[in-house]
Amino acid sequence: MSVIEVRELTKVFKIPKKEIGLTGAIKALFMPKYEQKTAVDRVNFQIDEGEVVGYIGVNGAGKSTTIKMLTGILVPTSGHARVLGRDPHKERVANAREIGVVFGQRTQLWWDLAFIESLNLVARIYQVPETRYKKLLDQFAEMLELKELFHVPIRNMSLGQKMRAELAATLIHEPRVVYLDEPTIGLDLIVKERIREFIKEQNQTKSTTVVLTTHDLGDIEELCKRVIIIDAGRLIYDGPIETIKQQFGKYREITFETIHSSERVTLPSGAETTHVEPRRLTVRFDRTLTTASQVAAALMNQIEVKDFSLSEPDLASIIKQIYNGALNREAA
Amino acid sequence: MIQSLRRNVSIYSAIASTAAKARLAYNMWVWADFFATIISMFIFVYFWRAVYAGETTLSGLTLAQTINYILLARLLAPLVETRTIYFFGYMIRQGQIAVELTRPLDMQLRVVVETFAELATFLVQRLPLFLLAWLIFGLQLPSNPAVWIAFFISLILGQAVLFLFDWMFACLAFYVTETWGLSVVRIGVGSFFSGALVPLVMMPGWLQNIAAAMPFAQAMSVPVSFLSGITSLADAPRLWTIQIIWLAALLILSRVIFSITVRKVTVQGG
Repeated sequence: MSVIEVRELTKVFKIPKKEIGLTGAIKALFMPKYEQKTAVDRVNFQIDEGEVVGYIGVNGAGKSTTIKMLTGILVPTSGHARVLGRDPHKERVANAREIGVVFGQRTQLWWDLAFIESLNLVARIYQVPETRYKKLLDQFAEMLELKELFHVPIRNMSLGQKMRAELAATLIHEPRVVYLDEPTIGLDLIVKERIREFIKEQNQTKSTTVVLTTHDLGDIEELCKRVIIIDAGRLIYDGPIETIKQQFGKYREITFETIHSSERVTLPSGAETTHVEPRRLTVRFDRTLTTASQVAAALMNQIEVKDFSLSEPDLASIIKQIYNGALNREAA
Repeated sequence: MIQSLRRNVSIYSAIASTAAKARLAYNMWVWADFFATIISMFIFVYFWRAVYAGETTLSGLTLAQTINYILLARLLAPLVETRTIYFFGYMIRQGQIAVELTRPLDMQLRVVVETFAELATFLVQRLPLFLLAWLIFGLQLPSNPAVWIAFFISLILGQAVLFLFDWMFACLAFYVTETWGLSVVRIGVGSFFSGALVPLVMMPGWLQNIAAAMPFAQAMSVPVSFLSGITSLADAPRLWTIQIIWLAALLILSRVIFSITVRKVTVQGG
């Protein structure tokens, strides 16, 4: 059953355009000029119950704007979104009861209150039955190591503590759909690991649907089977993470360290330089067209090589290629 | 129906007690406020004594009546200062509005509950000041419980009127994002026309008309006039009716304005 359905979803922001300086400010006061910025551009996708989907893109690609439309905060300019069969904006309160949202850089907890007091209030707002609440509290306390945080006010917490507290508060009413907007931003590896485990566990035991936006590809590799990539508001990829790996996995990279600087080298077909520095050269080649030894031999004939290394592409570099337009090139 | 009412009572009473607790988190602030209020009471009392030099009544008020009124107005003045307008601006500038709108709550009901819980906490915190005003300046409070009831009813109605009025202005934050200036102007105008600085009956007729056309007096002058003895109990039904009309009109208007302007929300910072 599909829980999230997005059709031709579009959001255009009207942004006041100001010239720099005092005269610019005065002009803007009397004759405001606006610029149209399309943050999300005719996006289509559908997410089923129990899926964990990575929603990725560079900063400003339109990820958060999409999430905000799905939570009912922003009204789409055109197209439509349905979450659990509802229009998220028109039925904002009903929608809010069944979803959970973490905005990585904000908090839904009360700044001055001890964490447990905030949590009690959140549970009350979502009308979590008393016995269920007690049970979940114990579970969460153990999984996220919250015991010693219960009596600490949010304002005194470290970033990692705050995020663990935030996640507990977001999932205490066992929402059917959870949006996590950069939940691991700025966290150390141990906290990241704990948070990923927690999300995975919630998804597996309760079939919670999770939409995750992140710049951390570790999150994606550990949690998501499917990714949706958007760039400049347009959906550019939607499919299994494996397909991406295979499609781009045919490339390998060799980095050469050379004695002298050399910018112009001739390479066998299927290979190209991707990165040039003085005395360092990175070459990417298609394994179906050429081989590592051919590339290396061709290069060694032209310049003196001190050292070289061969690397398998990780997801990070694949995503980087996609952002840089590799998908379009593939299609062409 | 009954079930949803019970649910709402349970949710919003929890929100009210949280707001009260959050306010109590800042104790230092209470002492600073005590000090500032005592100073302002001194200034106002000596000012009015000077104004009355040689006069027995002004606009039908004796010095004792005026001082009694002005002491109460000083004690309750923060009630006509708004936090709603600034709060909206802050929420929208910081992008916190995103979090607030993902809560399964009616935003207006939630903010009004928080505002009233804070006001109640504030009044309780200020009780020692009433005692001081009595000791130092001879503040007179009525002994008739009916007067107190009239005061509290008109205070609650008037504060609700003011809240809804501020709510409409606060919605401007969806367009301009910066509301600090707006809230400063609002507090200045509000203090003057609510009667927190000068009893309204002392103003020239045209100013009194302007004050009557604005909602500020409903939240300050009307209730305080009961307590200070300027208004008699016989006027209560008429004054309450006026307050209820204000309340009904502003309730409809403010909800319509919010539901239109909230569509404009552009959450700052991605």
